[in-house]
Amino acid sequence: MIAVASGLRAPAALRARLADLYGAYDEALAEGQYERWPDFFTETCLYQIIPRENYASGLPVALIHAESRAMLTDRVAALRKTILYAPRIVRNLTGGIMLRSIDADGLRLGASFAVFQTLLNEPSTVFLCGRYYDRVVEESGTLRFAERICVTDATLVPTSLIFPI
Amino acid sequence: MSARNASTGADRGSRQWPAAGPSRVPNWVYTDPEIFAREQERIFQGPSWLYVCLDAEIPNPGDFTRSRLGTREVVAVRGVDGAVNVLVNRCAHRSMQVCSANRGTVKEFICPYHQWTYDLEGRLFGVPFRRGYRGQGGMPEDFRPEDHALERLAVASRHGVVFASFAQPNETLEDYLGPLMLGYFDRVFSGRELKVLGYQRQRLPSNWKLMFENIKDPYHASLLHVFLVTFGLFRLDQQSAIEMDETGRHGVLVSRRGEQQVNEATAQMSAFRGDLRLADPRLLEPVREFPGDATVVMQTLWPNLIVQQQSNGLAMRQIVPIDAQSFDLVWTHFGYADDPPEMTQRRLRQSNLFGPAGLVSADDGEAMILSQAGIAGNDAAECLVEMGGRDVANVPHMVTETAIRGFYQHYRAVMGL
Repeated sequence: MIAVASGLRAPAALRARLADLYGAYDEALAEGQYERWPDFFTETCLYQIIPRENYASGLPVALIHAESRAMLTDRVAALRKTILYAPRIVRNLTGGIMLRSIDADGLRLGASFAVFQTLLNEPSTVFLCGRYYDRVVEESGTLRFAERICVTDATLVPTSLIFPI
Repeated sequence: MSARNASTGADRGSRQWPAAGPSRVPNWVYTDPEIFAREQERIFQGPSWLYVCLDAEIPNPGDFTRSRLGTREVVAVRGVDGAVNVLVNRCAHRSMQVCSANRGTVKEFICPYHQWTYDLEGRLFGVPFRRGYRGQGGMPEDFRPEDHALERLAVASRHGVVFASFAQPNETLEDYLGPLMLGYFDRVFSGRELKVLGYQRQRLPSNWKLMFENIKDPYHASLLHVFLVTFGLFRLDQQSAIEMDETGRHGVLVSRRGEQQVNEATAQMSAFRGDLRLADPRLLEPVREFPGDATVVMQTLWPNLIVQQQSNGLAMRQIVPIDAQSFDLVWTHFGYADDPPEMTQRRLRQSNLFGPAGLVSADDGEAMILSQAGIAGNDAAECLVEMGGRDVANVPHMVTETAIRGFYQHYRAVMGL
């Protein structure tokens, strides 16, 4: 379900396609199919997970900072082949998706996310929550994220951030 | 024997360091709440210079930032005279925190509870209804505001880095660091103006000392960190050194970048992956920016700071103990005020290696969690720290745990263990 900002005209077909994009993104992460994850982005995308304390102050350091789809591919290679981490299940929920504006650079959307983490033999906990600030563009008939800025509410990360959100 | 004596070290007999000395570390130093309390008293509130913040975070009078020195929270604020004051964040009245923002600019600190008001030096100058109302109530006649200032710490700063102490150390910051460590410190902090690029914060369920050990242990880096090893950022076959100050409390780990090639050493590292290639090599395009040929200098400064210079990734890593089995790690990433935009961009790309999601540092966080898990149920066991011998000495290689031994040699002296 994609809401549309007051006064903005967006065809129902576009809203349905956006809902499919967001749904497919969450499904790929929920199923742990991280190899599919870079395909949701344009080749020259900007993807960040950034604490609100930096984002709100204009400080550029993020937890994950990628300036291309290839950097996302490298991140997936790292989580598969190089990073040591204890077994866990991480689950994303996206809600309240709002199409805020449409301009020459694409569609601008906001949404809230919650990420739950379950470590082996531990209860499930809220790991991170925050807001997505997205710019979506159409590339040869496919909607992709040209920007996905994940702004986390908490200043700190409990344990380690291994998987994309 | 009373519980009070137990926590002040009068009963040293109840906790005996292993006879082998600093090449063994008893697991109870990572779990015992009484040891933790003694650490707070003797190390964090003792005569140590503790890292507080960077000058660049509070450039103008009235600018403040909060910082945690051990379990005690302080506010670092630039006074009207331009000097930094470090004040305990506790109203002298009923102990409420007088500052609840991480950063900002103020003219004074007003406790929200009863509006007691302090100037930027921490002096109390406003107490509502001090004289009562219509002749009733008020503070006693002999109440003197000057007796109720915010607790103020001794402050020392060097080249843009601010340190403070709860107990005035009997040595200057420079003497505390010693000439060797000061040289490495000045390599990154040459007096060039700094620019803060942002923060990363991480809470780890492990003892704070494991963080120091991690950075004082080059042995693990060549084995655990596939990313570092594969891309040649840090490997024990590269020309390197471990050095300490005279006490062993501070240390540096120095290394040089190498190539991604198979040799006698990389053949012993299952972490070396000759087949890995970055799809976007811009992530690692370091440029030389410091004199000399070292490309990595990781400096550990007793008791709460790691200065990170890995390629162009610069950060202060502040260690904030919470209790015996958890600590926060606060990363303040920075560059220089005169960095061109492409250098800032390079630092941002390289920051992917660090922090809670770091391509390298995530390994360390997870390793510390697993270490604590193994330690927690095994209080009577000891950790073995014999790589490179049993002594404490500076060495021109990485196949050693000597800096961990140096740390515990000093730790035992301070803790009376």
